[in-house]
Amino acid sequence: MLVLTRRANQSIMIGHDVVVTVLEVRGDQIRIGIRAPREIDVHREEVFRQLQAANRQAASPDKDALDALGALVPGPREARPG
Amino acid sequence: MSAARGAEAPTQTAQSQNDVEPSILDFAGGLPGFADLRRFALVRWGGDNSPLCLLKSMDRPEVEFVVAPPNVFFPDYEPELDDGTAERLGLSEAEDALMLVILTVEKPPESATANLMGPIVVNKNTLDAAQVVLADSGYELRAPLGGK
Repeated sequence: MLVLTRRANQSIMIGHDVVVTVLEVRGDQIRIGIRAPREIDVHREEVFRQLQAANRQAASPDKDALDALGALVPGPREARPG
Repeated sequence: MSAARGAEAPTQTAQSQNDVEPSILDFAGGLPGFADLRRFALVRWGGDNSPLCLLKSMDRPEVEFVVAPPNVFFPDYEPELDDGTAERLGLSEAEDALMLVILTVEKPPESATANLMGPIVVNKNTLDAAQVVLADSGYELRAPLGGK
C-alpha cells in the first residue's frame, strides 16, 4: 500500500482526474472530499462490501424458491411461460 | 406513464402493478459484486399481473436477479436520488425513471428480502441503469418482503 502524509486542504491525485482532498482532521475522524468523473462510483468501503455480498446472495436464485415466491406475491397468478 | 408506482396501497388491483417493459439495460458501472457485467435483459416473470421481473446477464446467463417495483411491497418507499446519479443516468424528470429493487429469494419464500439500500434506477428512455447506494438513508439492505 502506498502511504502518503497530507495535511488539511492538501490533496492526492489518482490517475488524471480523481482528486482526494483532506478537508478536516478532528480527533480520530478525517473528512475527505473526493472529486471524480461521474462514471466512477465512490462509496464507503464497508457499504460497498455489504452491497457486494447482498448482490452475490441474490444472484441466480433457486428456481423452486422463485416459483414459491411467485405464488405468494400480490396479483393473480399465471403459469410461467416456457 | 402509469401511476402504478405512486403512493397507492399495495392491494391487489385489476390493473397490472407492473409497468416494466422488456428491455436490455446498460449498467455502465457494473453492479457491486459483478463489476464486469454491463448488459442485462429485463423481462417480466410470472404472468401479466406478477410484479416480479428477472434481470438476466447477457454475458453470463447464469447470473440473474429477481427484481420488482418496490412499491408493490413497500408503499412508503420513496428514496431520494442524488444529483450525481440523476446526472449520470441523464434523468431530469422523475417520470423518466424506473425504480426496481433486487429480491433475495429464500426458502421458505416468506423469508425473501428486498434490497432497499441499493435500488436499481433505470432511465426508461435511454435504458441506462445503475444500482444506487443509499448509504445514509436508513433503508435496509435486507428488508423482509412479508415485513408488516
